[in-house]
Amino acid sequence: MKARTIRRWSWVHRWSSLVSTLFLLMLCVTGLPLVFTHEINEVLLRHAWAPANPDGAGLNLDEVLSVALSRHPGDIPAFMSFDEDRPVVNVTSRAPDAPAGQFNFQPIDRTSGDAAPPVAGHPAMEFLLQLHTDMFLGLPGALFLGAMGLLLIVAVVSGVVLYAPFMRRLPFGTVRLDRAARTRWLDYHNLLGAVTVAWVLVVGATGVVNTLATPIIAYWKDTALRDLTVAYDAPVPLTERSSLDAAIERARAALPGMTLQFVAFPGSTYSTDHHYAVFFHGETPLTARMITPALIDARTGELAAVARMPWYVKTLSLSQPLHFGDYGGLGLKIVWALLDLATIVILGSGVYLWLAKRDRRA
Amino acid sequence: MSRKDFSAWAVFGAPLILAVLSLIGLVGALLDDGVWDRIGAAMLAVAIVAAARARFRAGRREA
Repeated sequence: MKARTIRRWSWVHRWSSLVSTLFLLMLCVTGLPLVFTHEINEVLLRHAWAPANPDGAGLNLDEVLSVALSRHPGDIPAFMSFDEDRPVVNVTSRAPDAPAGQFNFQPIDRTSGDAAPPVAGHPAMEFLLQLHTDMFLGLPGALFLGAMGLLLIVAVVSGVVLYAPFMRRLPFGTVRLDRAARTRWLDYHNLLGAVTVAWVLVVGATGVVNTLATPIIAYWKDTALRDLTVAYDAPVPLTERSSLDAAIERARAALPGMTLQFVAFPGSTYSTDHHYAVFFHGETPLTARMITPALIDARTGELAAVARMPWYVKTLSLSQPLHFGDYGGLGLKIVWALLDLATIVILGSGVYLWLAKRDRRA
Repeated sequence: MSRKDFSAWAVFGAPLILAVLSLIGLVGALLDDGVWDRIGAAMLAVAIVAAARARFRAGRREA
């Protein structure tokens, strides 16, 4: 490699790193506990709640719905979702004259119809997640962090290019402990960079995709989903609706082997005025975030349509587990944390090397 | 400075193998649960082990 080429790549590596380092450090430090969100919430929030009749047959979903609506008379159902690790159905409804966005949310014990306590993440974890996602700045914050992620990719690629001239006479894994601190940290920087390059690129690129979640979902709703969710006249009146359980069974028959996640009622955001939209997800880590809605005619109970996710929503769904590292059990999370720590050392040593070089020049 | 430069394979071979192992581990754990979770974590962990081994070897040479 010519000296001039090396100088140019050094410039790219130096500035792409320096501009983004502070934010990448914040992301690595907040990301470390976030990898273990599930475990930490489990320890911090011990809910001493148990279903009333753990072995009972349980209410069917039509019964759960009428129990929920009986507690808010006059309400119109909007959504129904299902807890994964307890027999709890969450019913979201709203009064016809309620201001936009104001809902009644009721977790209901499916074994008794009693109210169940709501679950939420620990405030500390929610704080870290928000800081990590958008620094409390909403979409602009998320997009800014996405831009920092792009700089990270530039820094990694230029780092790989520069690895060649630095390592042309050093065997892989060289750490010159007997040399000056600058040389020693250069060796650590190169070694850790070389062993983590694939993981950093995957976590960086999927992180960038995740910052686009809001626009991606909005685009999906505005295009493909809008064809399904065109508003007609008025939602089907409650009295004319067919059975919810039957609708879910019909949808399940159209999408065998998938898990029920969510129901949107006629007239709500994720459905039409005439359909139950029944959302399913897959069973493997790969498909668990792949969501497929089936639309069921709310009067007749017939299947109207199955709306598979377009490629760009699938890309987003795939990017989430690959960024969070939460798809392979505790072992994978521990490796994720170690790689995250290695990345912190790479970032720190990078800043140190830049400062040391400046000092030497001065 | 009369020593010859290493070949591209000598420089990039080991990192390339680690990158391929990492990617197989990342995707493998995603495709299925159970034993693939452990295989995936182990393949990704090879990168950490490689770095730790290099550090210990350097320490031994020093001593």
